[in-house]
Amino acid sequence: MKGLDARLLAAHEAGDKSALVTLYQQAAKEAETEDAAGFFLVHAYVFALESGHRDAPALRRRLVALKREE
Amino acid sequence: MANDLSPTDLSAVRRPLPQAQGLPNAHYTDPAVFEEEKHALLFSQWAGLAVGADVPQPGDAKPISFLGVPLLLLRDKQGQVRVFQNICRHRGMILVEEPRKIEGAIRCPYHSWCYSTEGRLVSTPHVGGPGQNLHPGIDRSTLGLIEVRSHIWRDVVFVNISGEAPDFEVMHADLIARWAEFEQPLFHGGADSRFELAVKTNWKLAVENYCESYHLPWVHPGLNSYSRLEDHYHIEQPGAYSGQGTLVYRQLTGDDGQTFPDFKGLGEKWNEGAEYVSLFPNVLFAVQRDHCYAILLEPRGLDETVEHIHIYYPSADTDPALRRKNTELWKGVFIEDIGVVEGMQRGRHAPGFDGGRFSPAMDGPTHLFHDWVAAQVEAARARSA
Repeated sequence: MKGLDARLLAAHEAGDKSALVTLYQQAAKEAETEDAAGFFLVHAYVFALESGHRDAPALRRRLVALKREE
Repeated sequence: MANDLSPTDLSAVRRPLPQAQGLPNAHYTDPAVFEEEKHALLFSQWAGLAVGADVPQPGDAKPISFLGVPLLLLRDKQGQVRVFQNICRHRGMILVEEPRKIEGAIRCPYHSWCYSTEGRLVSTPHVGGPGQNLHPGIDRSTLGLIEVRSHIWRDVVFVNISGEAPDFEVMHADLIARWAEFEQPLFHGGADSRFELAVKTNWKLAVENYCESYHLPWVHPGLNSYSRLEDHYHIEQPGAYSGQGTLVYRQLTGDDGQTFPDFKGLGEKWNEGAEYVSLFPNVLFAVQRDHCYAILLEPRGLDETVEHIHIYYPSADTDPALRRKNTELWKGVFIEDIGVVEGMQRGRHAPGFDGGRFSPAMDGPTHLFHDWVAAQVEAARARSA
Protein backbone atom coordinates (compact mmCIF):
# COMPACT_ATOMS: atom_id res chain seq x y z
CA MET A 1 0.00 0.00 0.00
CA LYS A 2 2.97 2.30 0.59
CA GLY A 3 3.92 2.43 -3.07
CA LEU A 4 0.28 2.92 -3.96
CA ASP A 5 0.01 5.84 -1.52
CA ALA A 6 2.94 7.53 -3.22
CA ARG A 7 1.46 7.01 -6.67
CA LEU A 8 -1.90 8.35 -5.48
CA LEU A 9 -0.24 11.46 -4.07
CA ALA A 10 1.64 11.97 -7.31
CA ALA A 11 -1.56 11.57 -9.34
CA HIS A 12 -3.33 14.11 -7.11
CA GLU A 13 -0.39 16.46 -7.48
CA ALA A 14 -0.47 16.13 -11.26
CA GLY A 15 -4.28 16.32 -11.46
CA ASP A 16 -4.16 13.07 -13.42
CA LYS A 17 -7.80 11.97 -13.17
CA SER A 18 -7.39 8.85 -15.24
CA ALA A 19 -4.58 7.64 -12.96
CA LEU A 20 -6.69 8.46 -9.90
CA VAL A 21 -9.53 6.31 -11.23
CA THR A 22 -7.16 3.39 -11.76
CA LEU A 23 -5.24 3.79 -8.50
CA TYR A 24 -8.31 4.19 -6.27
CA GLN A 25 -9.78 1.04 -7.84
CA GLN A 26 -6.54 -0.72 -7.02
CA ALA A 27 -6.71 0.62 -3.45
CA ALA A 28 -10.26 -0.74 -3.17
CA LYS A 29 -9.03 -4.12 -4.37
CA GLU A 30 -6.28 -4.21 -1.75
CA ALA A 31 -8.48 -2.94 1.10
CA GLU A 32 -8.97 -5.28 4.03
CA THR A 33 -12.56 -4.43 4.85
CA GLU A 34 -15.66 -3.75 2.79
CA ASP A 35 -15.97 -0.29 4.31
CA ALA A 36 -12.42 0.59 3.35
CA ALA A 37 -13.04 -0.74 -0.15
CA GLY A 38 -16.22 1.34 -0.37
CA PHE A 39 -14.32 4.45 0.63
CA PHE A 40 -11.80 3.98 -2.18
CA LEU A 41 -14.46 3.03 -4.70
CA VAL A 42 -16.26 6.29 -3.96
CA HIS A 43 -13.09 8.18 -4.82
CA ALA A 44 -12.56 6.20 -8.00
CA TYR A 45 -16.17 6.87 -8.98
CA VAL A 46 -16.00 10.61 -8.28
CA PHE A 47 -12.91 11.12 -10.39
CA ALA A 48 -14.37 8.92 -13.13
CA LEU A 49 -17.57 10.95 -13.04
CA GLU A 50 -15.69 14.22 -13.19
CA SER A 51 -13.49 13.23 -16.08
CA GLY A 52 -16.07 11.31 -18.11
CA HIS A 53 -13.94 8.16 -17.66
CA ARG A 54 -15.21 5.00 -19.31
CA ASP A 55 -15.24 3.19 -15.94
CA ALA A 56 -17.79 5.57 -14.39
CA PRO A 57 -20.92 3.51 -15.24
CA ALA A 58 -19.39 0.27 -13.92
CA LEU A 59 -18.16 1.95 -10.75
CA ARG A 60 -21.60 3.38 -10.16
CA ARG A 61 -23.17 -0.06 -10.61
CA ARG A 62 -20.77 -1.52 -8.05
CA LEU A 63 -21.58 1.21 -5.52
CA VAL A 64 -25.32 0.86 -6.14
CA ALA A 65 -24.99 -2.89 -5.53
CA LEU A 66 -23.27 -2.08 -2.24
CA LYS A 67 -26.11 0.37 -1.41
CA ARG A 68 -23.62 3.22 -1.35
CA GLU A 69 -24.89 5.12 -4.38
CA GLU A 70 -28.17 5.54 -6.23
CA MET B 1 -31.02 57.68 -3.16
CA ALA B 2 -28.92 60.79 -3.11
CA ASN B 3 -26.19 61.45 -0.60
CA ASP B 4 -28.73 62.63 1.95
CA LEU B 5 -30.30 59.13 1.76
CA SER B 6 -33.52 60.46 0.24
CA PRO B 7 -34.57 59.07 -3.15
CA THR B 8 -33.51 61.10 -6.17
CA ASP B 9 -36.21 63.33 -7.67
CA LEU B 10 -36.99 61.98 -11.14
CA SER B 11 -39.96 64.19 -11.96
CA ALA B 12 -37.98 66.43 -14.33
CA VAL B 13 -36.76 63.37 -16.25
CA ARG B 14 -40.33 62.21 -16.82
CA ARG B 15 -41.45 65.46 -18.47
CA PRO B 16 -41.99 65.60 -22.26
CA LEU B 17 -38.72 65.92 -24.17
CA PRO B 18 -38.74 69.72 -24.73
CA GLN B 19 -39.13 70.35 -21.01
CA ALA B 20 -37.24 67.35 -19.62
CA GLN B 21 -33.91 67.24 -17.85
CA GLY B 22 -31.51 64.35 -17.76
CA LEU B 23 -30.97 62.00 -14.84
CA PRO B 24 -29.59 63.66 -11.71
CA ASN B 25 -25.86 63.39 -11.02
CA ALA B 26 -26.45 60.86 -8.25
CA HIS B 27 -27.38 58.28 -10.89
CA TYR B 28 -23.77 58.36 -12.03
CA THR B 29 -21.89 59.17 -8.84
CA ASP B 30 -23.72 57.78 -5.81
CA PRO B 31 -22.99 54.19 -4.71
CA ALA B 32 -26.43 53.92 -3.10
CA VAL B 33 -28.14 54.78 -6.40
CA PHE B 34 -25.87 52.34 -8.23
CA GLU B 35 -27.09 49.65 -5.84
CA GLU B 36 -30.70 50.72 -6.39
CA GLU B 37 -30.25 50.64 -10.17
CA LYS B 38 -28.47 47.29 -10.02
CA HIS B 39 -31.75 45.71 -8.97
CA ALA B 40 -34.19 47.96 -10.85
CA LEU B 41 -32.33 48.17 -14.19
CA LEU B 42 -30.20 45.05 -14.41
CA PHE B 43 -31.36 42.19 -12.17
CA SER B 44 -35.08 42.83 -12.82
CA GLN B 45 -34.66 43.07 -16.60
CA TRP B 46 -33.16 40.91 -19.33
CA ALA B 47 -29.50 41.94 -19.10
CA GLY B 48 -26.86 40.87 -21.60
CA LEU B 49 -24.34 38.60 -19.89
CA ALA B 50 -22.25 36.89 -22.58
CA VAL B 51 -22.49 35.37 -26.05
CA GLY B 52 -23.07 31.79 -27.08
CA ALA B 53 -19.73 31.91 -28.88
CA ASP B 54 -18.06 32.12 -25.45
CA VAL B 55 -18.94 28.44 -24.96
CA PRO B 56 -18.88 26.99 -28.48
CA GLN B 57 -18.64 23.27 -27.65
CA PRO B 58 -20.72 21.00 -25.38
CA GLY B 59 -19.13 20.98 -21.93
CA ASP B 60 -17.54 24.43 -22.31
CA ALA B 61 -17.92 26.39 -19.08
CA LYS B 62 -17.10 29.99 -18.30
CA PRO B 63 -17.45 31.56 -14.84
CA ILE B 64 -18.69 35.15 -14.96
CA SER B 65 -19.10 37.54 -12.06
CA PHE B 66 -22.06 39.77 -12.93
CA LEU B 67 -22.29 42.73 -10.54
CA GLY B 68 -20.85 40.51 -7.84
CA VAL B 69 -23.13 37.55 -8.53
CA PRO B 70 -21.07 34.45 -9.36
CA LEU B 71 -22.56 32.87 -12.47
CA LEU B 72 -21.55 29.93 -14.63
CA LEU B 73 -22.16 30.03 -18.36
CA LEU B 74 -22.27 26.46 -19.62
CA ARG B 75 -23.11 24.60 -22.82
CA ASP B 76 -24.55 21.31 -21.65
CA LYS B 77 -23.89 17.92 -23.22
CA GLN B 78 -26.99 18.31 -25.42
CA GLY B 79 -25.68 21.65 -26.74
CA GLN B 80 -28.05 23.90 -24.81
CA VAL B 81 -26.55 27.05 -23.29
CA ARG B 82 -27.47 27.44 -19.63
CA VAL B 83 -26.60 29.86 -16.84
CA PHE B 84 -26.28 28.68 -13.26
CA GLN B 85 -25.30 30.30 -10.02
CA ASN B 86 -21.69 29.16 -9.75
CA ILE B 87 -22.00 27.64 -6.29
CA CYS B 88 -22.26 24.23 -4.69
CA ARG B 89 -25.54 23.58 -2.89
CA HIS B 90 -23.58 22.14 0.04
CA ARG B 91 -21.36 24.90 1.41
CA GLY B 92 -21.73 27.61 -1.21
CA MET B 93 -18.25 27.02 -2.60
CA ILE B 94 -17.44 28.46 -6.03
CA LEU B 95 -17.54 25.52 -8.43
CA VAL B 96 -15.61 26.69 -11.49
CA GLU B 97 -12.81 29.25 -11.16
CA GLU B 98 -11.53 29.46 -14.75
CA PRO B 99 -13.02 28.86 -18.22
CA ARG B 100 -12.60 25.17 -19.04
CA LYS B 101 -14.16 22.10 -20.57
CA ILE B 102 -16.33 19.94 -18.32
CA GLU B 103 -15.42 16.44 -19.48
CA GLY B 104 -17.91 14.57 -17.32
CA ALA B 105 -19.38 16.24 -14.26
CA ILE B 106 -18.77 19.47 -12.37
CA ARG B 107 -17.02 18.45 -9.15
CA CYS B 108 -16.99 20.87 -6.28
CA PRO B 109 -13.36 21.31 -5.22
CA TYR B 110 -14.34 21.33 -1.53
CA HIS B 111 -16.21 18.06 -0.70
CA SER B 112 -16.60 16.77 -4.27
CA TRP B 113 -20.35 16.96 -4.69
CA CYS B 114 -20.85 16.39 -8.41
CA TYR B 115 -23.30 17.98 -10.85
CA SER B 116 -24.20 17.13 -14.43
CA THR B 117 -23.88 19.83 -17.08
CA GLU B 118 -27.69 20.03 -16.95
CA GLY B 119 -27.35 21.00 -13.29
CA ARG B 120 -28.51 17.75 -11.65
CA LEU B 121 -26.78 16.72 -8.43
CA VAL B 122 -25.43 13.32 -9.42
CA SER B 123 -23.22 12.30 -6.52
CA THR B 124 -22.67 13.27 -2.89
CA PRO B 125 -19.52 11.46 -1.78
CA HIS B 126 -19.41 10.33 1.85
CA VAL B 127 -22.55 12.33 2.64
CA GLY B 128 -23.85 9.44 4.74
CA GLY B 129 -20.44 8.76 6.31
CA PRO B 130 -17.20 7.31 4.91
CA GLY B 131 -17.85 5.33 1.72
CA GLN B 132 -21.58 6.02 1.86
CA ASN B 133 -22.91 8.46 -0.77
CA LEU B 134 -26.51 8.31 0.39
CA HIS B 135 -28.40 9.67 3.36
CA PRO B 136 -32.17 9.87 3.84
CA GLY B 137 -31.85 13.58 4.63
CA ILE B 138 -30.24 14.38 1.29
CA ASP B 139 -32.74 14.49 -1.56
CA ARG B 140 -30.62 15.11 -4.63
CA SER B 141 -33.64 16.04 -6.73
CA THR B 142 -34.03 19.23 -4.67
CA LEU B 143 -30.35 20.13 -4.64
CA GLY B 144 -29.44 20.73 -8.27
CA LEU B 145 -27.55 23.81 -9.38
CA ILE B 146 -29.61 26.97 -9.19
CA GLU B 147 -30.41 27.86 -12.77
CA VAL B 148 -30.74 31.50 -13.77
CA ARG B 149 -33.46 32.38 -16.26
CA SER B 150 -31.75 32.92 -19.60
CA HIS B 151 -32.66 33.56 -23.21
CA ILE B 152 -30.49 33.71 -26.32
CA TRP B 153 -31.21 36.21 -29.07
CA ARG B 154 -28.76 37.08 -31.83
CA ASP B 155 -26.26 34.90 -29.93
CA VAL B 156 -26.40 37.18 -26.89
CA VAL B 157 -27.12 35.34 -23.65
CA PHE B 158 -29.57 37.46 -21.69
CA VAL B 159 -30.29 36.74 -18.03
CA ASN B 160 -33.12 37.78 -15.78
CA ILE B 161 -31.59 37.41 -12.32
CA SER B 162 -34.80 38.25 -10.43
CA GLY B 163 -36.73 35.66 -12.46
CA GLU B 164 -39.71 37.98 -12.59
CA ALA B 165 -39.46 39.77 -15.94
CA PRO B 166 -41.98 38.95 -18.69
CA ASP B 167 -40.67 36.44 -21.24
CA PHE B 168 -37.90 37.93 -23.41
CA GLU B 169 -39.86 37.33 -26.60
CA VAL B 170 -42.85 39.18 -25.15
CA MET B 171 -40.81 42.02 -23.71
CA HIS B 172 -38.84 42.58 -26.90
CA ALA B 173 -41.39 41.52 -29.50
CA ASP B 174 -41.14 44.87 -31.27
CA LEU B 175 -37.40 44.75 -31.98
CA ILE B 176 -37.61 41.05 -32.86
CA ALA B 177 -40.27 41.92 -35.45
CA ARG B 178 -38.41 45.01 -36.68
CA TRP B 179 -35.34 42.93 -37.46
CA ALA B 180 -37.17 39.74 -38.50
CA GLU B 181 -35.28 39.72 -41.81
CA PHE B 182 -32.06 39.22 -39.84
CA GLU B 183 -33.36 36.12 -38.05
CA GLN B 184 -30.93 33.84 -39.82
CA PRO B 185 -27.73 32.05 -38.86
CA LEU B 186 -25.05 34.33 -37.45
CA PHE B 187 -21.41 33.28 -37.52
CA HIS B 188 -19.07 34.81 -34.97
CA GLY B 189 -15.95 35.97 -36.77
CA GLY B 190 -13.78 34.27 -34.13
CA ALA B 191 -10.78 35.56 -32.21
CA ASP B 192 -10.16 38.42 -34.65
CA SER B 193 -13.75 39.61 -34.31
CA ARG B 194 -13.98 40.13 -30.57
CA PHE B 195 -12.35 42.71 -28.36
CA GLU B 196 -12.88 44.53 -25.08
CA LEU B 197 -12.61 48.16 -24.13
CA ALA B 198 -12.33 49.19 -20.47
CA VAL B 199 -13.95 52.57 -19.98
CA LYS B 200 -14.01 54.78 -16.89
CA THR B 201 -17.68 55.62 -17.08
CA ASN B 202 -21.04 54.58 -15.78
CA TRP B 203 -22.55 52.00 -18.14
CA LYS B 204 -25.60 54.18 -18.83
CA LEU B 205 -23.49 56.84 -20.53
CA ALA B 206 -22.33 54.24 -23.06
CA VAL B 207 -25.99 53.42 -23.78
CA GLU B 208 -26.85 57.10 -24.12
CA ASN B 209 -23.98 57.84 -26.47
CA TYR B 210 -24.74 54.85 -28.68
CA CYS B 211 -28.41 55.60 -29.23
CA GLU B 212 -28.07 59.10 -30.68
CA SER B 213 -26.65 60.37 -33.96
CA TYR B 214 -26.25 63.98 -32.78
CA HIS B 215 -22.61 63.47 -31.85
CA LEU B 216 -21.53 61.72 -35.05
CA PRO B 217 -20.18 64.71 -37.03
CA TRP B 218 -18.19 65.93 -34.04
CA VAL B 219 -16.86 62.75 -32.50
CA HIS B 220 -16.62 60.66 -35.67
CA PRO B 221 -15.67 63.20 -38.34
CA GLY B 222 -14.48 60.38 -40.56
CA LEU B 223 -18.09 59.31 -41.03
CA ASN B 224 -19.05 62.79 -42.22
CA SER B 225 -17.63 62.34 -45.69
CA TYR B 226 -20.31 59.83 -46.66
CA SER B 227 -22.69 59.56 -43.70
CA ARG B 228 -23.95 63.00 -42.80
CA LEU B 229 -26.22 63.85 -39.92
CA GLU B 230 -29.20 64.31 -42.22
CA ASP B 231 -28.76 60.77 -43.50
CA HIS B 232 -29.75 59.43 -40.06
CA TYR B 233 -33.09 58.89 -38.38
CA HIS B 234 -34.17 58.23 -34.80
CA ILE B 235 -35.38 54.83 -33.64
CA GLU B 236 -37.64 55.12 -30.63
CA GLN B 237 -39.63 52.42 -28.87
CA PRO B 238 -40.62 53.66 -25.42
CA GLY B 239 -39.97 51.15 -22.69
CA ALA B 240 -37.69 48.91 -24.70
CA TYR B 241 -35.05 50.45 -26.97
CA SER B 242 -33.85 53.48 -28.85
CA GLY B 243 -31.23 54.15 -31.44
CA GLN B 244 -30.45 55.51 -34.84
CA GLY B 245 -30.57 54.38 -38.41
CA THR B 246 -28.58 55.43 -41.46
CA LEU B 247 -29.70 55.63 -45.07
CA VAL B 248 -26.21 55.53 -46.54
CA TYR B 249 -24.50 52.40 -45.18
CA ARG B 250 -21.48 51.63 -47.31
CA GLN B 251 -19.97 48.15 -47.43
CA LEU B 252 -16.37 47.69 -46.46
CA THR B 253 -14.17 46.64 -49.37
CA GLY B 254 -10.86 44.86 -49.29
CA ASP B 255 -7.71 45.75 -51.20
CA ASP B 256 -8.95 43.76 -54.19
CA GLY B 257 -12.46 45.16 -54.02
CA GLN B 258 -13.84 42.10 -52.21
CA THR B 259 -16.79 42.46 -49.81
CA PHE B 260 -18.44 40.26 -47.21
CA PRO B 261 -21.40 38.18 -48.40
CA ASP B 262 -24.86 39.57 -47.64
CA PHE B 263 -27.45 38.09 -45.32
CA LYS B 264 -29.97 36.22 -47.46
CA GLY B 265 -33.22 37.68 -48.68
CA LEU B 266 -32.97 41.16 -47.19
CA GLY B 267 -35.35 43.81 -48.50
CA GLU B 268 -34.18 46.79 -50.56
CA LYS B 269 -34.19 49.02 -47.49
CA TRP B 270 -31.02 47.30 -46.33
CA ASN B 271 -29.01 47.90 -49.50
CA GLU B 272 -27.87 51.18 -48.02
CA GLY B 273 -29.66 51.08 -44.68
CA ALA B 274 -28.30 50.04 -41.31
CA GLU B 275 -29.60 50.34 -37.75
CA TYR B 276 -27.91 50.80 -34.40
CA VAL B 277 -30.02 50.13 -31.32
CA SER B 278 -29.49 50.22 -27.56
CA LEU B 279 -31.64 47.39 -26.22
CA PHE B 280 -32.26 48.28 -22.60
CA PRO B 281 -30.60 47.80 -20.29
CA ASN B 282 -27.12 47.02 -21.56
CA VAL B 283 -26.78 45.58 -25.05
CA LEU B 284 -25.92 47.66 -28.11
CA PHE B 285 -26.78 46.03 -31.41
CA ALA B 286 -26.08 46.81 -35.05
CA VAL B 287 -27.55 45.23 -38.17
CA GLN B 288 -26.12 45.80 -41.63
CA ARG B 289 -26.46 43.92 -44.89
CA ASP B 290 -23.14 42.08 -44.55
CA HIS B 291 -22.35 41.93 -40.83
CA CYS B 292 -23.79 42.60 -37.42
CA TYR B 293 -22.35 43.23 -34.03
CA ALA B 294 -23.30 43.22 -30.38
CA ILE B 295 -21.69 45.23 -27.62
CA LEU B 296 -22.31 43.95 -24.12
CA LEU B 297 -21.82 46.57 -21.45
CA GLU B 298 -20.50 44.98 -18.29
CA PRO B 299 -20.99 47.33 -15.35
CA ARG B 300 -18.01 46.70 -13.09
CA GLY B 301 -18.77 49.62 -10.78
CA LEU B 302 -20.19 53.10 -10.57
CA ASP B 303 -17.69 54.54 -13.04
CA GLU B 304 -16.19 51.39 -14.49
CA THR B 305 -17.57 49.60 -17.55
CA VAL B 306 -16.14 46.96 -19.85
CA GLU B 307 -17.46 46.89 -23.40
CA HIS B 308 -17.38 43.39 -24.91
CA ILE B 309 -17.62 43.63 -28.69
CA HIS B 310 -18.55 40.66 -30.91
CA ILE B 311 -18.84 40.83 -34.70
CA TYR B 312 -20.93 38.35 -36.71
CA TYR B 313 -21.15 37.47 -40.39
CA PRO B 314 -23.69 35.71 -42.64
CA SER B 315 -21.22 32.93 -43.41
CA ALA B 316 -18.66 30.85 -41.55
CA ASP B 317 -16.32 31.38 -44.46
CA THR B 318 -15.25 35.02 -44.67
CA ASP B 319 -11.98 36.63 -45.73
CA PRO B 320 -9.72 36.82 -42.63
CA ALA B 321 -7.92 39.96 -43.82
CA LEU B 322 -11.19 41.73 -44.51
CA ARG B 323 -12.52 40.62 -41.10
CA ARG B 324 -9.47 42.07 -39.38
CA LYS B 325 -9.86 45.30 -41.33
CA ASN B 326 -13.50 45.50 -40.25
CA THR B 327 -12.61 44.88 -36.61
CA GLU B 328 -10.00 47.63 -36.73
CA LEU B 329 -12.50 50.00 -38.33
CA TRP B 330 -15.09 49.47 -35.58
CA LYS B 331 -12.50 49.51 -32.83
CA GLY B 332 -11.38 52.92 -34.07
CA VAL B 333 -14.95 54.22 -34.02
CA PHE B 334 -15.63 52.90 -30.51
CA ILE B 335 -12.34 54.29 -29.20
CA GLU B 336 -13.38 57.71 -30.51
CA ASP B 337 -16.38 57.50 -28.17
CA ILE B 338 -14.33 56.82 -25.04
CA GLY B 339 -13.31 60.45 -24.53
CA VAL B 340 -16.90 61.66 -24.42
CA VAL B 341 -18.36 58.95 -22.21
CA GLU B 342 -15.49 59.37 -19.75
CA GLY B 343 -15.78 63.17 -19.97
CA MET B 344 -19.51 63.06 -19.23
CA GLN B 345 -18.80 60.80 -16.25
CA ARG B 346 -16.31 63.28 -14.79
CA GLY B 347 -18.74 66.10 -15.57
CA ARG B 348 -21.34 64.54 -13.33
CA HIS B 349 -19.29 65.42 -10.27
CA ALA B 350 -20.05 69.11 -10.96
CA PRO B 351 -22.61 70.06 -8.32
CA GLY B 352 -24.20 72.62 -10.62
CA PHE B 353 -25.11 70.10 -13.32
CA ASP B 354 -28.85 69.57 -13.22
CA GLY B 355 -29.08 66.60 -15.56
CA GLY B 356 -28.80 68.81 -18.62
CA ARG B 357 -31.29 69.99 -21.24
CA PHE B 358 -31.94 67.89 -24.29
CA SER B 359 -32.10 69.01 -27.90
CA PRO B 360 -35.81 68.61 -28.66
CA ALA B 361 -34.91 67.72 -32.23
CA MET B 362 -31.89 65.46 -31.74
CA ASP B 363 -31.99 63.91 -28.25
CA GLY B 364 -35.24 61.96 -28.37
CA PRO B 365 -33.52 58.55 -28.18
CA THR B 366 -31.42 59.64 -25.18
CA HIS B 367 -34.41 61.05 -23.33
CA LEU B 368 -36.31 57.86 -24.08
CA PHE B 369 -33.61 55.90 -22.26
CA HIS B 370 -33.57 58.31 -19.31
CA ASP B 371 -37.35 58.07 -19.10
CA TRP B 372 -37.08 54.27 -19.10
CA VAL B 373 -34.48 54.39 -16.30
CA ALA B 374 -36.68 56.74 -14.27
CA ALA B 375 -39.77 54.59 -14.82
CA GLN B 376 -37.98 51.39 -13.73
CA VAL B 377 -36.48 53.03 -10.64
CA GLU B 378 -39.83 54.55 -9.66
CA ALA B 379 -41.57 51.20 -10.16
CA ALA B 380 -38.98 49.48 -7.96
CA ARG B 381 -39.43 52.13 -5.28
CA ALA B 382 -43.19 51.64 -5.42
CA ARG B 383 -42.80 47.88 -5.04
CA SER B 384 -40.60 48.24 -1.97
CA ALA B 385 -42.69 51.02 -0.38
